[in-house]
Amino acid sequence: MPDVNITVDGKKVTAPAGTLLIEACKTVGIEVPAFCYYPGLSLQGACRMCLVKVEKMPKLQTACTTVISEGMAVTTDHEEIHQARKSMVELLLGNHPLDCPVCDAGGECELQDMTFSYGASESKYTEAKNHKEEQQWSPVVFFDRPRCILCYRCVRVCDEAMDVAALGIQNRGSGSVIAPNMGDHLDCEECGMCIDICPVGALTSGAYRYKTRPWEMNHVATACTHCGDGCKTTLGVRRSETGMEIVRGDNRDKSGPNGDFLCVKGRYAFDFANRTDRLTQPLVRRNGKLVPVTWDEALTYVGQKLAEIRSQSGGASMGVIGSNRTTNEENYLLQKFARVVLQTNNIDHQRTADFAAFAAALAGRPDATASAREVFDAPAILLIGNDPTEQHPLLAYQIRNNVRLHKARLYVVNSESVKLRRQATLFSQIPSGSEAAFAAFLAGGDVANGANRDEWNALRDQLRKETGLVIAFGSELRGASIASLNKFALSVQGAKLICLADYANSRGAADMGVYPDLLPGYVPLIQGSKFKAEWGTLPDAAGLTLPGMVDAAKSCKLKALLVVGANPVFRMKLDPATFANSFLVVQDLFLSETAAVADVVLPAASAYEKSGTFTNTYGDVQLVKQAGEITGTKSDFEIIVRIAERMGYDVAKLVPFGSGSRADMGQSRGAQSGEADRHAVWLEAQGLELKMNPFDPTAVFDEIQRLVPGYQVSRLNLMAGNDQHTRLDQNGGGAVGDPALIQPANDGLFSSGSTGRYSKTLNTVMENRNRVEMPKVAAD
Amino acid sequence: MSVIKDISEVAKGMGITFMEMFQPTVVENYPDGPGIFKGAKFQERFRGMHVLQRDENGLEKCVACFLCAAACPSNCIYIEAAENTAEKRVSGAERYAEVYNIDYNRCIFCGYCVEACPTDAITHGHGFEVATFNVGALVYRKEQLLAIKPAQMGDNAVFNKQEMETQRVLPG
Ligand code: SF4
Ligand code: SF4
Ligand code: SF4
Ligand code: SF4
Ligand code: SF4
Ligand code: FES
Repeated sequence: MPDVNITVDGKKVTAPAGTLLIEACKTVGIEVPAFCYYPGLSLQGACRMCLVKVEKMPKLQTACTTVISEGMAVTTDHEEIHQARKSMVELLLGNHPLDCPVCDAGGECELQDMTFSYGASESKYTEAKNHKEEQQWSPVVFFDRPRCILCYRCVRVCDEAMDVAALGIQNRGSGSVIAPNMGDHLDCEECGMCIDICPVGALTSGAYRYKTRPWEMNHVATACTHCGDGCKTTLGVRRSETGMEIVRGDNRDKSGPNGDFLCVKGRYAFDFANRTDRLTQPLVRRNGKLVPVTWDEALTYVGQKLAEIRSQSGGASMGVIGSNRTTNEENYLLQKFARVVLQTNNIDHQRTADFAAFAAALAGRPDATASAREVFDAPAILLIGNDPTEQHPLLAYQIRNNVRLHKARLYVVNSESVKLRRQATLFSQIPSGSEAAFAAFLAGGDVANGANRDEWNALRDQLRKETGLVIAFGSELRGASIASLNKFALSVQGAKLICLADYANSRGAADMGVYPDLLPGYVPLIQGSKFKAEWGTLPDAAGLTLPGMVDAAKSCKLKALLVVGANPVFRMKLDPATFANSFLVVQDLFLSETAAVADVVLPAASAYEKSGTFTNTYGDVQLVKQAGEITGTKSDFEIIVRIAERMGYDVAKLVPFGSGSRADMGQSRGAQSGEADRHAVWLEAQGLELKMNPFDPTAVFDEIQRLVPGYQVSRLNLMAGNDQHTRLDQNGGGAVGDPALIQPANDGLFSSGSTGRYSKTLNTVMENRNRVEMPKVAAD
Repeated sequence: MSVIKDISEVAKGMGITFMEMFQPTVVENYPDGPGIFKGAKFQERFRGMHVLQRDENGLEKCVACFLCAAACPSNCIYIEAAENTAEKRVSGAERYAEVYNIDYNRCIFCGYCVEACPTDAITHGHGFEVATFNVGALVYRKEQLLAIKPAQMGDNAVFNKQEMETQRVLPG
């Protein structure tokens, strides 16, 4: 678009034609106050805070609705403007309660800020204020009507960005009031976007309500630990009697691929970490009962026992089950531990998507994967299988808003009439289970039985005409179907692929080689010379898969099993007696079904309580930072290192620590903590920071960057908190295995099996939904 | 020579001493004086141990806004907020301080907290006898800081813990 020149307060501004005046001002650092304007939402022009003087225009103009035009001369700082803004604030405060000391928004309230800036601290009104009782619309949404300034941000974000439209406006003029769709309560996705976006304290969060105040918290930027989308979240943390408690999650600074978006899980379901029934003491089975012991006792016992089994029955009699929610460093360390310390390739995890086959299909193909950010900019998107609204809320959000703001074309192929069909240019409902046939058809195969030949042909023709198509597919496509899809992608110019997996670090577990037949970076065992050179000898034969280990346990061939952050008894619906003849060690947060039958249970820290990196399902690697702290737990990283040490292994070989040249002893809490962070980033970038102890995950990340193909991302950017897209094209070749090994969890919006079921807020929301929906079903 | 000089110096010094003998007494008879202040006298605005005030209905004035904690330069105020319910009403507004601790190991009696409080809930009393052999005892809890009765019902300048306990009367 051609550029337009204007002057704002004497400064020259050049911006593309069509830019809003308020945005043009921002580019030269001039902030125009606004309540109702919100970037990315439709224009409202309701609050009239953004008034500016435009030369040759008789009246003050609203900067949020004025489009710049050539030669425009704008003044934003003038007595008349101040007067206008002051009286707007005065009007808003006319019936606004003096609630600041008890209002959750206090300290980060835009109305407070405006009142400070424009000083409408005295009022001409003498009438008594019209009080209305606060309303609870759902377990997590509260509404305080007198505090509402009618900016309609909540209504618009719910309708436009979320496509839920659960909020609306009742009455007209000054009698307008925001109201929920079900009259007195909400039936919605409970994402909390309305609360987050509300400039004042009218909408408040049931989970955060009255707990603390903004300045009382430390704010820690980390990644969400629930689904595979990897939203960045800023956690508000406060000290508590058990350590550090997380009280709030949001992403107001819009860093990360998700902007300010978080779904119900990211926003509220961190509370599983604060539960009082978290394990905080190691447990050892004595006389059939789990009894608490000290860490030292438990670790020594595990170390001795594992060393004994290794020398008696060999590594092949032991197994390791890894996790979808531990960090990359921990996954890497775990498989290294299995291979070099236990001397076994019997290591696997619950696979929720076929990344091994994905890697096999994409080997040697540069730029073939799309990042989470790219979904928002792609000109066209093809979605096969999966229901992102339920399973990948961020993906659904990115797609929806791409269609809305950038007019992207969306093609949805699904056996269900998923909600995203509402944004689709073309929606093709295919018979259940025929996703693989569709992939084969795209690759040039024949039309499957029962499918509409013309519809599929037309769709394929249209897709082939696209450029820069992003193809996202669910776990319905596995093994050979992924190769077919890739074949099709090669025929579309600039097409990129996304393989959707369920959990926060499912991709990381796959990338880090928690596989019986693949080393980190999808390197087949026989090609592992690079790893052998660093690690020493490795067992050569492929190990047992997860079902293989379960079978071995049933036939008493599996003498020892280490389960880290997984719950096979619950997930695979196993008979609890399955592991009766194996020495079972479980590292977990809670006494899960598997932990309950273990010989030793080691209390682990959750992903909110440790540092490291996560890789989301798109392949974007992000920093995970410690926010909370529960006394008595240890990170899985530390536990693995300690077990290795008790088995007589030299930990310096497991974790290459001790390198670097200078340490930073910066403050990690308090006002100066940011300084230390920035300093750390600088030290990292210069390769100076000293890894002083064997529990330092960055020491392992060094090794990952050295050995794992695709992970050579910018350390500087990563440490600064930016998501970095890894490459899959240089991977070791992958493997196409048995499709039955893929066991998706099929969690919905309000469930995430592994940790979500321990979240009080999530459970309350779910119970409430069931309760609310009951009469509706009866009336149908 | 030097002897005369020494004597004159002593005489000069003693002269001041004798002169002072005829001045009025300014020393307080603390701690042997009368009353609950044991003879100690205060300027009206002396900043001593804090008192958390009650309103005219006997409800706590503090609404747990955390402004005092924010203003405190030595970071010694710790608060946990809770919500008032119909059955259990503690303060006049939506929420109250379930836990309110002041750590007198760190307090510098600067009065910033008092200045910051929007509800005039926290005030300085005249108490100053806080010395102890156990630093743990210097973290004062809400129960120890809370005024016994609303301010208009009498003097809330609670002197020390012991008197607080002996003088305890029900609000209202
Ligand atoms: S919404 Fe803002 S101005 Fe209104 S009571 Fe809350 S903090 Fe104060
Ligand atoms: S509830 Fe908040 S976001 Fe919604 S209109 Fe009122 S002030 Fe704006
Ligand atoms: S979309 Fe996924 S990653 Fe994002 S907040 Fe929700 S559960 Fe967390
Ligand atoms: S004492 Fe005053 S300033 Fe401190 S929390 Fe209570 S109301 Fe707020
Ligand atoms: S008097 Fe000063 S140091 Fe003491 S609690 Fe109040 S603000 Fe803090
Ligand atoms: S921001 Fe322009 S009218 Fe509200």
